[in-house]
Amino acid sequence: MEWILTAILVVPFAVSVLSWWVPRRVAEALTLGSGVATFVLAWTLVGSTKPVNALGGWLRTDALSTVFLVAVAFLYALTAIFAIGYLRRSGDPSEDRRYSRRYYAGLNLFCWAMAVAPLVDNLALLWVAIEITTVVSALLVAIDDTEGATEAAWKYVIIASLGLGIALFATIIMYSAGTAALGNGYNFTYPVLLSAAAHLPSSVVRLADLLAVLGFGTKMGLFPVHTWLPDAHSEAPTPVSALLSGALLAVSFYAILRFFQITERALGPAFPRNVLLAFGLASLALAALYVIIQRDLKRLLAYSSVEHMGILAIGMSFSAVLAVVGVLLHVLAHAAAKGTAFFGAGSVLRKLRTKDMARIRGVIDVLPWTGPMLVLAVLALSAMPPFGIFRSEFLIVAGGLSSGSDWEAAILVGLVTLAFLGLSWYATRSMMTPVLDPSSLQGSAATRPAPPTRGETSWWMVSSMVLGLIALAILGIHPPEDLAHLLYRAALELGARR
Amino acid sequence: MMPALLAPPSTFTGTAEAITLLVLLSEFAMLRAPLSRSQIRLYAFQSLVVSGLAFYVAADRHIGDLYAVGTFSFLLKVIVVPAVILRLLKDAPEDLAGSHRLGVASMVLIAIAISVFGLFVVASLPIASILLPKAELGLATAAILVSFLLVIMRSDVVSQAVGFFSLENGVSVASLAIASGLSLVAEVAFFFDLLVAVVVLGVLMRLHHGRARTLSTNEMDRLRG
Amino acid sequence: MAADQLSPVVIQVLQDLTILFFAPLISGIVARIEARFQGRRGPRILQPYYDIAKLFRKETLVPEDSSWVYLAAPVVAFTCYLIVPLLIPVLTSYPLPLGYMGDILGGAFVLSLAGFSVSVAAAETDGPYAQLGSSRAMTFGALIEPALLFVTFTVALITTTDLPYFEAAAARASLSQVVRPAHLLAVVAFFLVVLSDTGRIPVETHSSTLELGMIDEARTLEYSGPPLALLKWGAAMKQLILYVILINVFTAPWGLAGSRSTGSVILAIPIFLAKAVGVGTLFAIIDNSFSKLRLFKLTEFMAAAFLVAGLAVLALYLGGG
Repeated sequence: MEWILTAILVVPFAVSVLSWWVPRRVAEALTLGSGVATFVLAWTLVGSTKPVNALGGWLRTDALSTVFLVAVAFLYALTAIFAIGYLRRSGDPSEDRRYSRRYYAGLNLFCWAMAVAPLVDNLALLWVAIEITTVVSALLVAIDDTEGATEAAWKYVIIASLGLGIALFATIIMYSAGTAALGNGYNFTYPVLLSAAAHLPSSVVRLADLLAVLGFGTKMGLFPVHTWLPDAHSEAPTPVSALLSGALLAVSFYAILRFFQITERALGPAFPRNVLLAFGLASLALAALYVIIQRDLKRLLAYSSVEHMGILAIGMSFSAVLAVVGVLLHVLAHAAAKGTAFFGAGSVLRKLRTKDMARIRGVIDVLPWTGPMLVLAVLALSAMPPFGIFRSEFLIVAGGLSSGSDWEAAILVGLVTLAFLGLSWYATRSMMTPVLDPSSLQGSAATRPAPPTRGETSWWMVSSMVLGLIALAILGIHPPEDLAHLLYRAALELGARR
Repeated sequence: MMPALLAPPSTFTGTAEAITLLVLLSEFAMLRAPLSRSQIRLYAFQSLVVSGLAFYVAADRHIGDLYAVGTFSFLLKVIVVPAVILRLLKDAPEDLAGSHRLGVASMVLIAIAISVFGLFVVASLPIASILLPKAELGLATAAILVSFLLVIMRSDVVSQAVGFFSLENGVSVASLAIASGLSLVAEVAFFFDLLVAVVVLGVLMRLHHGRARTLSTNEMDRLRG
Repeated sequence: MAADQLSPVVIQVLQDLTILFFAPLISGIVARIEARFQGRRGPRILQPYYDIAKLFRKETLVPEDSSWVYLAAPVVAFTCYLIVPLLIPVLTSYPLPLGYMGDILGGAFVLSLAGFSVSVAAAETDGPYAQLGSSRAMTFGALIEPALLFVTFTVALITTTDLPYFEAAAARASLSQVVRPAHLLAVVAFFLVVLSDTGRIPVETHSSTLELGMIDEARTLEYSGPPLALLKWGAAMKQLILYVILINVFTAPWGLAGSRSTGSVILAIPIFLAKAVGVGTLFAIIDNSFSKLRLFKLTEFMAAAFLVAGLAVLALYLGGG
């Protein structure tokens, strides 16, 4: 099994380097191959009940990291499919070569860093991997070279880097907590820290956990350090938005969970849970309100990401194993749903050339496949059965109620419903309203652009959405047996009560 | 007749503390420095002081790893990073006066207040530094907090970038103080990460400058809500 | 008592007389050195004495509407400058009888009383520049005060007293007390305070005749005759007093008389003067190397002084530095 970890470490990186040199068609094929291969490799890890070590202990996967690896790899594969269609339609062939070269090199490197983050068995290297995701994705956000993209990338790189500065400080403090029990120069790996957790000085661990939630929370999009998130998500090219939202936020959450795991062993569950609860409730409340007033389709989805990250944080604050399983399932389902929704938004953007929801009309008529699937994805995001997010949120709420956190669960349900109203109202309205809606006839006939022709832009883009929805349905209706066991084991690793 | 004196610190403690104080003071100087180039020079100076601290600790406590850390930080942060940034800024205007959001004196007072906060918070923690005197971690924390202020209070891209780099310097000192055993691999990884971050920030700075013809971030106000 | 032992009272008087008589000399020497740096020949070293003597022979003009304060202020200020040398180690390393009368803060208060009385008198006159100088002097004096306070706190934390003699003794006790980080920071902060209080660049151009940039100097614009002589003499004494504190308390308290023997006390005078000239040269170099800050930027200077002094206290309080 060790070769799998090594392969995941090598393949996307090699493809990233190759993409710089080879023609675009080859880069597309390589990226697609690498994405699918990474997903298949990650999936083979799902069944293994024991942790897998590789490269002399530098790489290690347990159930927790496998969950996140699968989420990243799945979105990597989907994005690779979507990107082929998205990029082929971007016009201007002379620019195309340079653009696609940077694009594919960056995309693969970005996915590589996100896949490596759960693989490494060292808090410091985890930080390094996440910092690499920041710098690579900042370039990807800026790749369109528009005013908005530069501004968004700048805000993103500055805010996220400062957040990660705090996270690095947290990492160092956690290391120093370890030196109290293990002596200077010990091996900074999770098993070592976890086995010594009972002997770590409590106030130091407390500080480290708090700073880690604040620091990695910046990348995860927790309120009040989420401010870069809507900008970056809305200005980035759509495949990058999908990766940012579905995979990157999850990887940052993974880092928080690693600190959570250690803190939970060292201090007992109350402190780390309360920290996450506070950040989660604030994020959820803010996002639910912002979702209602959004006018920009991609920003709407971005705030929905903040909302879902809030749900994850709240879910972790419930002690029942049911809730933690729900959280981990939510990570997977959110990756699939948000990826699909962004793909749909990207298709709409390509077709109608606007993100303004007041001007997006009659998508269902224009894009016969994408339109309905985008509606389905948005409904899935707002926890509509039978999709995965319904199941995961149901588990979280049920877990919350069973562990006695009635109030928190009630607030969760209330805010999620609020966000649901905002999300589904705006999204479905712009999808379903016919193109010739009287309210959209404001300018004279001459200034109004001709109504777009009916027909899909690219079948690559459609098929990525189909796959995403299928995965969502599987997660919702009947998750594979292996995966369910994996989630359960991961929940136990996180210290959930049986 | 003669009252008891507060015992002076040992040579090692005193020197290490004085060096760290220089790190903090150069952070304050960056807060004030009106020109972007002088800010980058201050950053180079601060990095030099940090790598000097690494060498001093390495020599005094005989830790081979720290020589490597000091060398890396010297090569990257004193030479490469400032050179890269200065090169990227070659065609940028020199004058950046007025990027302060507040008067310098008020900023310094705020910075003093948050430094004191950082120092006292850290002093109340039971973190024992293995190598360095107790005040080190507090001073490093203060430097980190002031670098945040630098990013928040200055509205030009160079200050914000330099704020981030010097944040890393503060964390370096903190890691010298409490995590010197952190394996060399991880430390070197930090440095390369920083290098990548520098290149990215530099590219974005250029993009912004090429587009907006200014290094001020006041133009960046399109995205809201 | 042996024949060559001086009584403490005599030594104390001698300290005062040293400041009184040599202050114009030091000013003259520093002015000369400064001129040399600027490539001029400069005035005679004894020029300040001639100026003072000339002013004493001139008549006194009093502005209409000004009260007795106007004439009393120079006398009060001059008296203050005579009191401070009683409190600080000018010639001896051991405290003299009146040495316990006031601590560093006490000395600072006496000095600010002098400044205050001059400012009040300046505010009394009709001269707009004098009033401007008066208000500026009070403003910036108040702004630099926190730095001075924190320097005092540093001394207090190190020596558990705030008597200048003990700080000097601490510095003499071992070199490691001089190079400890807190002490170095306190010295830098006090140096900045002296720069500000003696009206030196970057705070004020002391030799300028441009009224708009003046702070301290502007206050005496309306004076003439003997009161102006007293003020000029007082300014020279104030400068020397601040040098004494900088040298004999903080940086180089060596070469002071350790006993009461006539020889050692007399010998301490030229040593002290040499050190004062050394510090004066340093100030002259700074004067020639920097440019004056704009008036509105002076707060940056004060903030820097406060920052350094504050760090000194923090280094001591939190790290024992």
